[in-house]
Amino acid sequence: MVARTPNRFNSKKGQLKIQQMAFMLIAIFLLFILAGMFFLSINLYNVRKTAVNLEEQNSMLLVSKLANSPEFSCGNSFGTSRLNCIDFDKLIVLEDKKEEYAELWGVAKIEIRKIFPRDDTICSYENYPDCGVIKIVDKKVNTLPASSNFVSLCRKEANERMIYDKCELALLMISSEDKT
Amino acid sequence: MIKDIKKRGQEEIVGFVVIVVIVSVILLVLLSFLIRNPSEEIVNNYEVESFIQSALQYTSECEDSTEFLAVQDLIIACSEKTICLDDKDSCNVLNETIKGLITKAWNVGEGSAVRGYKFSVSEDEVGTLLIKEGNETSNYKGAVQPFARRGKEYEVFLNIYE
Repeated sequence: MVARTPNRFNSKKGQLKIQQMAFMLIAIFLLFILAGMFFLSINLYNVRKTAVNLEEQNSMLLVSKLANSPEFSCGNSFGTSRLNCIDFDKLIVLEDKKEEYAELWGVAKIEIRKIFPRDDTICSYENYPDCGVIKIVDKKVNTLPASSNFVSLCRKEANERMIYDKCELALLMISSEDKT
Repeated sequence: MIKDIKKRGQEEIVGFVVIVVIVSVILLVLLSFLIRNPSEEIVNNYEVESFIQSALQYTSECEDSTEFLAVQDLIIACSEKTICLDDKDSCNVLNETIKGLITKAWNVGEGSAVRGYKFSVSEDEVGTLLIKEGNETSNYKGAVQPFARRGKEYEVFLNIYE
């Protein structure tokens, strides 16, 4: 009975130490995992932020590029050369030939929407220029959220006295195909 | 003796676990803040810039002897106190046109993400026109568009408040 006491004491002490060590290992493991996730998420956050900035820049460049491309831009038709100016007369011709131009810009949707004065009528040869929405590219695919920018939508207008330039405010919207 | 050692060991473990739990909670809270998607901008600076450029080209209702004036020409007409062909004051037409353009483009008002706007024009660095609506907040996007005409320098400012 007396001889068994130190053994029992040692065994209990050993168990306690093993238990302590196990707890320590689990806690340290959890701590390292959390710390790792923390730094990983910081990196992920920065990557996501950069991606958003790049996407925004890309959309802005694409919209500006489109608005100022020969197929869309006003050129010198309305006096001096203008920035972000779209020729409505060119658009209605493009709309009629949209199948031929569908692959030219590498996007899934291009839409121009008149916002002041607002008009939601879809444009065609029959109702031009009394309309407000014109779809140049309209692929039936899943698309990413549209990028848009303000443009000036200009055309030649005539009244009983003169022919004049009529420019209205519109939104140029572009959507890329969602390949995910 | 055994009881004392056991108690001390248990206390150490409990203390350690408490520290680990506190650190974990702090890390998890920080993690949740970081993992959240970065909020999308409602208004971008480039949009305000392109809006001013496009708005300046907008053809207004004010007609002179040769044409209907674009907003850019209307700003000059207003500063020269010109009257339109239909006897309307050019400054009144400018006010109405600018308000209409901004309201339709940014959907300003109650329940909208855009709380207000401030549109101003300066001629040779002297303010000549100020149109504002809604609340001015510290979170805003803005742009300026300069142009020169007849030896005078004009600057058009627009701030959109979120």
